Amino acid sequence: MIFDVIERSLRQRNRVIRVEELLDNCNGSRMPAVLAARLTPAICQGLAEVCPTKAITLGESEGKPYLQLDYGKCVGCGRCIEEGSGAVEIAHHLEGCGGQKNDLIRRWDIGRGIQITPPAPEPKASASRVYELLGRALNVRQLDAGSCNGCEAEITALTNPYYDLERFGIHFVASPKHADMLLVTGPVTRNMADAVKATYEAVPAPKLVVAVGACGCSAGVFAGSYAVCGGVDALIPVDGYIPGCPPTPAMLLTGILEVLRKHAGRRV
Amino acid sequence: MNGKAVAGIPAREPAPPRGALNLPRRSDGSAARLVTLFGSCGQNRECRAHYVFDEGVPAYREIALPADSGISSITSQTPAAAWYEREIHDQYGVEVKGHPDLRPLLFHENWPAGVHPMADQVENVPWSKGEYHFLEVQGEGVAEVAVGPVHAGIIEPGHFRFSVVGDTVLHLELRHFYTHKGAEKLLEGRLLRDGTMIAESVSGDNCFAHAVAYSQAVEAALNTSVPPRAAAIRLIGLELERLTNLIGDVGGLCTDVGFSVAAAQAARIKESLLQASWRCCGTRYWRGVATPGGLRADKDSENIRELGRDVARAAREFADLARLILGTPSIQNRFEGAGMLPSKVARDLAVVGPVARASGIDLDVRRDHPYGYYRRLQPEVPVTHYGDVMARARIRIEEAAAAAHLIQEASSALPAGSTLATIEPRGEVQGHSAVESPRGELFYWLEARDGRLARCHIKSPSFQNWPAMPFAVIGNVIADFPLINKSFNLSYSGCDR
Repeated sequence: MIFDVIERSLRQRNRVIRVEELLDNCNGSRMPAVLAARLTPAICQGLAEVCPTKAITLGESEGKPYLQLDYGKCVGCGRCIEEGSGAVEIAHHLEGCGGQKNDLIRRWDIGRGIQITPPAPEPKASASRVYELLGRALNVRQLDAGSCNGCEAEITALTNPYYDLERFGIHFVASPKHADMLLVTGPVTRNMADAVKATYEAVPAPKLVVAVGACGCSAGVFAGSYAVCGGVDALIPVDGYIPGCPPTPAMLLTGILEVLRKHAGRRV
Repeated sequence: MNGKAVAGIPAREPAPPRGALNLPRRSDGSAARLVTLFGSCGQNRECRAHYVFDEGVPAYREIALPADSGISSITSQTPAAAWYEREIHDQYGVEVKGHPDLRPLLFHENWPAGVHPMADQVENVPWSKGEYHFLEVQGEGVAEVAVGPVHAGIIEPGHFRFSVVGDTVLHLELRHFYTHKGAEKLLEGRLLRDGTMIAESVSGDNCFAHAVAYSQAVEAALNTSVPPRAAAIRLIGLELERLTNLIGDVGGLCTDVGFSVAAAQAARIKESLLQASWRCCGTRYWRGVATPGGLRADKDSENIRELGRDVARAAREFADLARLILGTPSIQNRFEGAGMLPSKVARDLAVVGPVARASGIDLDVRRDHPYGYYRRLQPEVPVTHYGDVMARARIRIEEAAAAAHLIQEASSALPAGSTLATIEPRGEVQGHSAVESPRGELFYWLEARDGRLARCHIKSPSFQNWPAMPFAVIGNVIADFPLINKSFNLSYSGCDR
């Protein structure tokens, strides 16, 4: 019967999604996109009020009011889309996955209706560049610091025949001692704090650390709980942040590659 | 071998249940099943203990007792209450008289003693260093194996302490609650419509079941009836979540016995459903879909029909794959007889869901306590009494087929009309709701004052089922533990909350 399963498998068409279609794609994550030209002071006020995780805030810079959206805090609840009178819609592309915390923050000048802090326009990793960066070998250790398992479900999906992470030479390894990169999910709970530190200690240099999901970036919906220390960087240094609740496999892949691109030359 | 169990904590005689709760019974005289047990604080900070039982009739039986001067433990009569009583002790500082084991459950060694976050405001709790005593098994040749909290794999954290002789497990003790996030406390004070978001993050892979259970509890508290179209779409979402999880579970079992081709095929079918979900409603896991009163937004009928066709195709492929998997001799060799959970243990620990149904307990919230659209559409409920890994695999495969069938029925005749009823918060109200999540009975109880949550208790099927898992491991070789654990497929976060 094993051969029947293999035979069925061989008859399946190839389902691998090309890397170009995955990079910066955030379909399915419910992340919002702001249409700057439609922003009015009243709409911005409303958006800041409905955002349950304070991902959307108002501020002032040099006397000019701005609207700020921090994707690292956004859980994709969609309230801003419902209440935004057409000024917010579902995003299909999201730049900044795997970047620093600031790379996930956007600001719009409310008066002029233009974006004032775009993410740094850096060249993206292409498929060939990806192979070059990795040398077809990156060992990743996933560490759950207290997540709800939503991120785990999507990280597991990365290994299915659609995303096929192995094609890049990225493997999930069983021990932090074998890992080049720690992929950390969840708000760090107080009960996990010691284990998170011990796991980090066990990873050999250069110890790339990626904070995954709204909880990993900012503690997400669990921010402020008595049982939670905060996002991953509350406990260990983080090299890149991947937003989303949960981030889709495409966002995870984009983020992992981005962290690698930025830190490929890092000295041990 | 002279195995002798020595408790790491001083043994105490269970106190006689003086003034204790009169345990409810079913009409045939047997003990009613404990559904959940939790604490709450009234407006004047008076503490209560709530017991919920299933007496074998559609309505759940709820009993509330004053708890300020402690409660009498029911664990000696109802072993299923053991963890609940430890939890109420941790959360509220309620004295539980006669409990055989009141070690801290939720709070680990870095918490100082005497912190009860649900009873008091806790801020800046100092860090401390304590010690946790596991049950120690002594005897010639007994070795201890400590596993976790960080495991090898993409999996949640938890600790397993095995006592083994050679390869054989004599005893297994769980240490969980590493992912305890204080979700129940976080819900307090929230607007009713804001609770859904936290409910969805209690156990991510069952997020829709949590969102619906929470929403239904609000609806019950406010006597709101959900429009039929919303109820039907919720049923589709719930069954789709079940189907997706069950396919993932069977694939996971294949992974754990090294049958990677079958595991990859199961992962492919599962992903096809996640993508179908995205095409239908913009979310892979149905987050942000349910809300108290119905659905946040209507779904296009044609999209739902398309989803129905995708489900039919996936279910066909999975049925074919499952038939081949179960027919594979090496699978039979590994699955059959491994991880036996006796029916008696399952009943004593009030186990729920597919695990219960694989150990001869005929229990399904959709049929026994019908809610929403299940009042119209009823699933086939498979039951078997073998109780081993194979039984749990078979139950899942049959349930997957039944879930796909329900989705076909609901999506082919979707009612017309609105999908959201108005929620009108008022005064002090209480409500509860149960949902058959992919892992079994999920129960939400809440109390709201003027439109804000005063208390919300979440009984997750994983909290209920975890204590039973070690009983299925005892006597097996330690190498079979991952397989047995996978066949339970319990959520750590759902348990720890």
